[in-house]
Amino acid sequence: MSLKDPVSAEAAASIDGAPASLDDATAAAARLLARSRQPLIAGLGADIEGARAVIALGQRVGGVIDHMHSAALLRDLDCLREAGIMLTTPGEARVRADVLLLVGDGLLQTWPSLIERLLAPPARPEGAEVKRRILWLAPRADATIPGFDRDLEVFAAGSSATLAATLAALRARVKGRPVTQTQLSLAALDALAGAVRGARFGVAVWTAASLGALEIEMLHGLVRDLNETTRFSTLPLSAPDNGAGVLAACGWMTGFPMRTGFGAGVPIHDPWRFDAERLVASGESDCVLWISAFGAAPPAWLSAVNVIALCERTTQFAKEPNVRIAIGRPGVDHDAVMHSSDTGTLVAATASARSGAPSVAHALERIGASLEDANAQPC
Amino acid sequence: MLIRIRNAHIVDPANRRDEIGDLWIRDDTIVAAPQDGAQADETVDASGLIAMAGGIDIHSHIAGANVNTARLMLPEYHRAHARRPAETPLSKVGWTTFETGRLYAEMGFTTVVEPAVSPHHALHAHLELADTPIIDKAILAILGNDDFVLGLMRSGEGASAIRDHVAWTMQTTRALGIKVVNPGGVAAFKDNIRNFSFDDVVPYYGVTSRAIVKALQQAVHEAGVPHPLHVHCNNLGLPGNFETALTTIAAAEDLPLHLAHLQFYGYGKEGPQGFSSAAPQLGEAVNAAKNVTIDVGQVMFGQTVTISSDVLRQFSARGQARPKKYAIIDGDSNGAGIVPYEYRAGSFHNAVQFAAGLELFLLIDDPWRVFFTTDHPNGAPFTTYPEIFALLMDKDVRAQWASRLPPDALAVTTLPSLTREYSLTEIATMTRAAPAKLLGLSDRGHLGAGARADVALYRSGKDIAQMFRAAARVYKDGDLVVRDGVVTHYRYGRTLQVTPAVEASMQRRMTEYYDARYGLPSDFMRVPEGAIPRPQPFEAVACRS
Repeated sequence: MSLKDPVSAEAAASIDGAPASLDDATAAAARLLARSRQPLIAGLGADIEGARAVIALGQRVGGVIDHMHSAALLRDLDCLREAGIMLTTPGEARVRADVLLLVGDGLLQTWPSLIERLLAPPARPEGAEVKRRILWLAPRADATIPGFDRDLEVFAAGSSATLAATLAALRARVKGRPVTQTQLSLAALDALAGAVRGARFGVAVWTAASLGALEIEMLHGLVRDLNETTRFSTLPLSAPDNGAGVLAACGWMTGFPMRTGFGAGVPIHDPWRFDAERLVASGESDCVLWISAFGAAPPAWLSAVNVIALCERTTQFAKEPNVRIAIGRPGVDHDAVMHSSDTGTLVAATASARSGAPSVAHALERIGASLEDANAQPC
Repeated sequence: MLIRIRNAHIVDPANRRDEIGDLWIRDDTIVAAPQDGAQADETVDASGLIAMAGGIDIHSHIAGANVNTARLMLPEYHRAHARRPAETPLSKVGWTTFETGRLYAEMGFTTVVEPAVSPHHALHAHLELADTPIIDKAILAILGNDDFVLGLMRSGEGASAIRDHVAWTMQTTRALGIKVVNPGGVAAFKDNIRNFSFDDVVPYYGVTSRAIVKALQQAVHEAGVPHPLHVHCNNLGLPGNFETALTTIAAAEDLPLHLAHLQFYGYGKEGPQGFSSAAPQLGEAVNAAKNVTIDVGQVMFGQTVTISSDVLRQFSARGQARPKKYAIIDGDSNGAGIVPYEYRAGSFHNAVQFAAGLELFLLIDDPWRVFFTTDHPNGAPFTTYPEIFALLMDKDVRAQWASRLPPDALAVTTLPSLTREYSLTEIATMTRAAPAKLLGLSDRGHLGAGARADVALYRSGKDIAQMFRAAARVYKDGDLVVRDGVVTHYRYGRTLQVTPAVEASMQRRMTEYYDARYGLPSDFMRVPEGAIPRPQPFEAVACRS
């Protein structure tokens, strides 16, 4: 595991754009955090060990933690916190689903192995193969899923409010209730309603990155209704950058998801107050520790404040961070535990090209070790 | 380091001690009083204190994907885990792994078993346990509704294949035992079957719940796993379900079998609401079946959340969610249902449940075979344990509680007629000596020479709940971790695992199976030691010889 591996002495780091040793960079980072009015740890593209280190550091400096995909994660999570939901796993969907209801755009971007893992293989719930129907509530009639064009039944369901209305109409027709104007023709709606009602084990698939809260809530309601007579479940695709893994670690370590602050001495979760972008835009936070170990690009709003960046060596910033430490990629440069979209679980990955580059946890541990010195210095 | 604990009231049923005496700890082990006149490095005056081995909880849902989903579902619930009374500084902290370890330690518990881990989620559970301080931990892995085991049974492969699969699962997931949850019922729910009893048949696989229980019971026994098969029966929570439990007990024949949270099967159909306590019938059956052990799953009033791998039962209970939200998860083998619930003293049903649990405690006469649980958090959070000890040890406390309950509910139970009061020795048996024996942990649960120095000292007093709520001192591996009910020193314990020998052919077979069914390598669920962020995170427990 990463903390048990040696770290290369020549880890790439810089202060104000000038090359620096890892020790000097972590010391400079600690000074910035110690001087900050409201430290913010954002991005959080990290493995589980990195997430644990983030939370530990957040508690220590009274900081706020927020993940780059929190907005989408919280849209899914809000339904868990406010309604009844049904969920299933990628494995159950692959093996058992005789009907897949794909909803909205961006599925392949969120889960690159969607076709190979779920769409292409036949269902095989028991002894024999079952041909599955794949229905797609697509933004437009001519929408495509690149690499998968066979057996896809496309319904032009619209997006945003239109999609929400289409889902509401579908839900109504599933219950045999009348509908008025909808995006889809009544015949198309009823064909859809018949298909989902006829499923033995149907699964709705979406990514919260492209759906609004209303659409997600409507989908869960539809699935609740379908379970009155048959079996139907959902597979909300997990966010990239180990979003689901970081969410899990936040859950067991703090009791809350990300967008949690430690300034009061106990973790307080507030999705609005602890939104990283808002904290920077409002001037409440003056220092961001930006973490992105999986290569995700930094957001433009970082330019407004002091930035300590733990990122890939080649990451481009609009404004050079005050401190930059190049870190390894989890599962490539070092062993790591991450959430896997293929299994829906936390999985231990062995380094595929082991290197001495520090992990997120390493870098944060070094920063933490420098904090005492930084705190001892006068401002 | 040699510590002498002087003049404690030593309650150590495994060694038949109930007397004032001294306890000696050398480093992490309990030792006999030195014969060579060696002086203690530290002497603790334990006059007025009761010494027991560290408590062992055999069934408490403290970690893993389902528990974590419950945490995230219920941000408003964290205060339910605050130590009671609620108005303490703790009432604002989250229900985290860190708090779990701390709160258990402060009650003098030092080993806790998370009893329901789906094999695919083993790594997640172990990561949470690694972040649970002070106590030692273990998991039970769930089998029996999964396609692989049911497929073995369908094809009539017989006992040895199932035994090998049990061994493979335990090794892969690093488990201490095997649990089966609503055997067959969970699998049948995937085919939209919504009621499933002991002799019903799972579609396609053609096997009954009875056959699954018997096959796994035999397999666990033959694999040499100390803890017998841990069974969550069919029909949990339903009126008249005591018959399911009776049938399951009878089916165990002579092999060991553990029935989890029996209170939830203690229901008849008598009385004005068609819902009554059948605890007396169950108690009688357990008393007669010496091969059977049970834990109670006591209900206590208040807000909680039910977390169960019995997805069929949880689906059926979704309409009773309080507050109105839930998650029903169709998992790769068992899945789960997370349904918040509030037990109310004024509710007829909840009062019957509360009474039935206490009846089981009081009517089962052998404390070596009845285990102390609330099925945390399903019957109540584990932070209610002190109140339950008081209910068991003092009939006047019971009478006070009973006076709050609907009289017509009490009338369909025998609780008001029961006068038994648990002794300290019986409490120590049920929470220390017996769990160690049940789980095969020979160095725990007692205070004899050679035992691990997990020791709880309680301040004797009239308020039994207060005594057990805040241990005067707790030692973990000889390390003082709690003083006057507050953790004073953090350390991390280990996770216990039993590793039966695995046939190489089973490993090959699982590789082929996962590739064919899921297109995945079977090692995705592995738990490499290096992935657990603690030094030496695991400790081996020997197989039954």
